Amino acid sequence: MVDSPVGQSLKLEQDLRKGVLVLAVLSQLRTQQYGYSLRQALAERGMPIEEGTLYPLLRRLESQGLLASEWQVDDGPPRRYYTLSAHGAQTYRELTGAWRSLTSVMDRLVHEEG
Amino acid sequence: MDNPRAIIETYVSDVISRLPRRQRHDVGFELRSLLNEDLDGRAADSGRPADAAMALELLTAFGRPQEVADRYRPAGFTVIRPADAPRFARLALGGLALQWAITLPAAFTSPAQADGWIYADSWWGRLTTWWLSWGLGSFWWPGFLITLTLISAALGRCHGEAKPWTPRRTVDRDHVNRPATVAGLAFGAAGATIMIALPWLAVWAPGLPQPLLDAFAIDPRFLHARAVWAVPLWAAGFAVHAAVLLTGRWDRRTRIISLALDLAWLALLTWWLTGRIFTTDAADEAAKFGLLLVVPLVIIDFVVTLRRTSASIRPPLLQA
Repeated sequence: MVDSPVGQSLKLEQDLRKGVLVLAVLSQLRTQQYGYSLRQALAERGMPIEEGTLYPLLRRLESQGLLASEWQVDDGPPRRYYTLSAHGAQTYRELTGAWRSLTSVMDRLVHEEG
Repeated sequence: MDNPRAIIETYVSDVISRLPRRQRHDVGFELRSLLNEDLDGRAADSGRPADAAMALELLTAFGRPQEVADRYRPAGFTVIRPADAPRFARLALGGLALQWAITLPAAFTSPAQADGWIYADSWWGRLTTWWLSWGLGSFWWPGFLITLTLISAALGRCHGEAKPWTPRRTVDRDHVNRPATVAGLAFGAAGATIMIALPWLAVWAPGLPQPLLDAFAIDPRFLHARAVWAVPLWAAGFAVHAAVLLTGRWDRRTRIISLALDLAWLALLTWWLTGRIFTTDAADEAAKFGLLLVVPLVIIDFVVTLRRTSASIRPPLLQA
């Protein structure tokens, strides 16, 4: 089945965003956040991520050793707060470097075309 | 169910029931808390209290519990690779169909069991008996294949990354073995000459005893109606092999002609087998037995040629 041009374009954009999802999440977890606040923070910065994608992703990143988490009770119900682990901080630096290099190359490619 | 919190509770329990036991409470507590907070956020944005419709909208966007549980799990391993899936399906379903094709007709043609149930001889009784024996039993084959595939995938995972690709023993299947082809043509020409000369055995070998000449007497109807068709097929076969011998290689055209000749030979042999070839019974039966041995050889040649024809990579059609 062939998607409509609009549907195909949306899917390709989703694929593009999937590639930067981890970096976006790591960037916001340099300070401690819990799932809902992280989603709000990303959405406010123009990177909305569906809840169903974000919350399981946090657990997977934690199981890979990139995040550390703990339960905390503030003024509301108990919440699980996530932050970068030492390994996660190192990975974040490496990914940031790769991202800058990639955007530079992509800028050149796209502007050549334009 | 109108209580939105209860809907979320049901959803969370559906998700965590699919997670490993040690994760369930921790993930469940967090997921419930986050979904409730999301629901409160939606209610605040819309300016009305949270209700069942709002909760269902949230959970629909979140995803089906099976999918969400998948996302919580680390990436699994591939049991059947996409490239292998069509072949696997063909093998599994083909094996199943073959068993049914053999056992189903047998179920209807074999005598019913004398000590069976009273409807054992009716068509639906036979069908039921077949289904409860061979029909269902044939599913051992797909199960066996899946078990082997699982073991193979698990072993592959244990051994880590697959070995890098190395070329197999390369075989140029289009290359012609000239000495073998010359020998084949010579033997073929000798055989064809003998077969063509056989009706005139008494003329070119008058010294042979009469009983021997009688034994090899060919049925005149076979000679006039069916045997003559072998001559153009032999001639075409020799022409193709001679052309291949000259160029040194098989190509798509010569293979297609060879396929057509194989089909023509199969049709002709089938026609020959349906009627009398020699006038004496003993010679006729011996000849037909010999032809029956030739039929599988022609089929094998056809299949091999077909595989080699379709295996070669064709260039694309270029527009002028």
